[in-house]
Amino acid sequence: MYKWFATKRILKGLFMYALLIFIMSALFNSVVETTMRAQIEEQVRLESMRLKSKNTTALQKFQAERREQLIKNNKLDRPIWERIVYRAINTITFNFGKSTIIKSSRGERDVLTIIAEAIPRSLMLFTAAAVFEILIGIYLGLKKAQKPGGSMDKTTSLITMIVYGMPTWWLAMILIMFFVYTVKLFPSSGVHSVPAPEGFMYILDMLWHTALPLLTLVLIGFWGLAFVVRNIVLGILQEDYIMAARARGIPENSVLFGHTLRTAAPPLITMSLLSLLGSISGSIIFEGIFSWPGLGNLYWIAVQQNDIPVLMGDLAITIGLYQAGLVILDLTYGFLDPRIKVGGKA
Amino acid sequence: MNIKDLGYWFRDFWAEFRREGSGLVGLALLILFLLVTIFENPLLPFKETNSRWRDITYWQDNPINAPPVWTNLFAQKKAARTINLEKGKREELTDDEGNSYVQDSFLYHFTADKAPLDIIFHSTIQGMVPYIIEVERPDGATIQLTQQYFEYSDTTPVRISVNNDGKDSLFTFLKIHDSEDNLSMVSSGSIRSTEILFNKAREGMAGSFEALKGNYRFIIKALVLDPDQFVLQDSHIVVTGSVSGLLGTDNMKRDIFSGLVAGLKWALFIGLFTSAVSVLIGVFYGIMSAYFGGIVDTIMQFIYQIFVSIPLLPVLIVVSAVFKPSIWFLIGVMVIFFWPGSVMTVRSMAFQIKEETYIEAARALGAGHRRIIFNHMAPLLIPYSFASMALSVPSAIVYESSVSLLGLGDASIVTWGQILHDAMLGNAILNGLWWWVIPPGLAIAIMGMTFAFLGFAMDRILHPKLRTR
Repeated sequence: MYKWFATKRILKGLFMYALLIFIMSALFNSVVETTMRAQIEEQVRLESMRLKSKNTTALQKFQAERREQLIKNNKLDRPIWERIVYRAINTITFNFGKSTIIKSSRGERDVLTIIAEAIPRSLMLFTAAAVFEILIGIYLGLKKAQKPGGSMDKTTSLITMIVYGMPTWWLAMILIMFFVYTVKLFPSSGVHSVPAPEGFMYILDMLWHTALPLLTLVLIGFWGLAFVVRNIVLGILQEDYIMAARARGIPENSVLFGHTLRTAAPPLITMSLLSLLGSISGSIIFEGIFSWPGLGNLYWIAVQQNDIPVLMGDLAITIGLYQAGLVILDLTYGFLDPRIKVGGKA
Repeated sequence: MNIKDLGYWFRDFWAEFRREGSGLVGLALLILFLLVTIFENPLLPFKETNSRWRDITYWQDNPINAPPVWTNLFAQKKAARTINLEKGKREELTDDEGNSYVQDSFLYHFTADKAPLDIIFHSTIQGMVPYIIEVERPDGATIQLTQQYFEYSDTTPVRISVNNDGKDSLFTFLKIHDSEDNLSMVSSGSIRSTEILFNKAREGMAGSFEALKGNYRFIIKALVLDPDQFVLQDSHIVVTGSVSGLLGTDNMKRDIFSGLVAGLKWALFIGLFTSAVSVLIGVFYGIMSAYFGGIVDTIMQFIYQIFVSIPLLPVLIVVSAVFKPSIWFLIGVMVIFFWPGSVMTVRSMAFQIKEETYIEAARALGAGHRRIIFNHMAPLLIPYSFASMALSVPSAIVYESSVSLLGLGDASIVTWGQILHDAMLGNAILNGLWWWVIPPGLAIAIMGMTFAFLGFAMDRILHPKLRTR
């Protein structure tokens, strides 16, 4: 049963991804093609520069032929709908082409390589932050729900509202100004020092660099989560079996972490994963403030250098990751809450 | 539901809202923001901020990267603040030889411990004008700072900076008072004019600054050669201090407080417009999806699914980078991605309302779909969407500022995100220019907080389930 549900959900996710890439391909078709033509022109010029021995007419002939060949290879001479489909399929199969300016750390200009370098760094930072946020958020939420309307609940709710509209990247700027330039405690940017130290020191160095971005994300992230956890748990605490458990004399902590948390698990996990997805969707450019070389920073650089292929590849990958996240979300939910799998009406 | 019902509903709502402390704070802040928007013009220290934010000449009299005026309170040595001496005393004089002069004199009361960075003289001139600037110091010395000759057939604004044009005469003044040895260290090119002008006349004044406090009288004097062709008007003086304005200046000499005030209305507009339109679309989408049900519901849910599975900020960045949109286009894109936010709750509520007997009764009476949706279902559901409307205002503001932070904002307006973008470019963080980084972001955060206060308060009232026992 679960196998069916999982297969269906994964297929739906793949279909959605393909559909979104098609929409993207149609929307950005003209700008992508302009970049492509410029790249072809550059390639033809480079190739003709190598052929110094030829005379002018032969050179011109070679250039015209080569240009036509490249245009044909890239299907730029085909009707528009065919070009859109062709490019969408290219994107879906991770064939992003070459960047115009940005290079990978080893100097390659393949967009996929550039992005593949950035993905683990982003995932590392954001998952680490999510883990901390979830732990703190659930703990705080439970405490809040235990005494709703109490002073703890009230103050933390107030702080939740205060940080509600605070941009993560702005907090990052302030923290950098304070912790990096006033109190010289943390490094200002990057994943590790240059040159990177060896062995165990490498890990320490990396942790030292991760500390401030992580702190920023967690500082803003867990409040909202705690608030949602509070509301979910508050609903469950009013159920009869909780009262029965308390009446049986089960310790309060056991009621809270055993009985309540198990029932609250499905929506809690959904919420947590959603907050992780939300940070991919909402605060990813905060990487740029820390020059943390992940996907978000790639957006900054690609925008500044006007590197369209990298921008498009980055977007495709982000959409893909987001889709994967949504699929994982539903799969875990289905796993934890058997009612979902049946596929009855929600 | 008619107008009278709405009145009752509102009175009930207000009775409960009054008890929400944070909600009232939010309301007060919102009213404050609206007042600032309405009285923007009297509040703006620089009136043309909106149209000339990116015009360097408009800001040229301000100091560069200057901290706010009130930092003087915490400083040991008080810095001179930037002020604009608008009204001069106009006099028309005739000397012994029968030459007539026009002069504008300005009184500047100098009390700071540090000299101003520059004194800038502005006038509008027509005809042949020999233009002389003099200063009377508190110690009785009179220095002729500069002498220029202008000849314009049309009225033309002129700008003279003491720092550039007064160097030679102030060096002469320095030569009278200081010793040969000290003078050998400096030249007329290397001195800071204002540090001589406001210095106590004594030996060693070339090397160190000791403020001569008191009243300085600056005189703009012009010999009238041809009375028919002579215009000297609009004279005013700007004293460029090393502290400036309520919130300092940036590296383009712009007044940050003016930028904040000018950006407020855009933040408010972007947030309110985006959230109101998108929530309304979402509400009607949800109602229609639930009301029609069946195949319509399936299709509408599928479209909804497409929109919720798009990560908004990355798409917004790429769209802005590719199309270089105006603010209207950006708002449009945000609306396209914001409306799904309220669809699901409304849909599930509409499913319940749809089954109510009064809807059945309305249908039995022959009411059309439109009448049922707009007259019987929407009025019940729209109040519930107010909370989500308020709660989606901050995200719209933050998304716009995020796009602006990347430098992709609409260049024809001033927004807080753009000020922060300039701060990033101007290395404000590295140089510790906190007055350039903290206020715009704080403004975004306070704006977000305001709507969070309002939204959460409304949420508690409209969804009683969440209320604490």
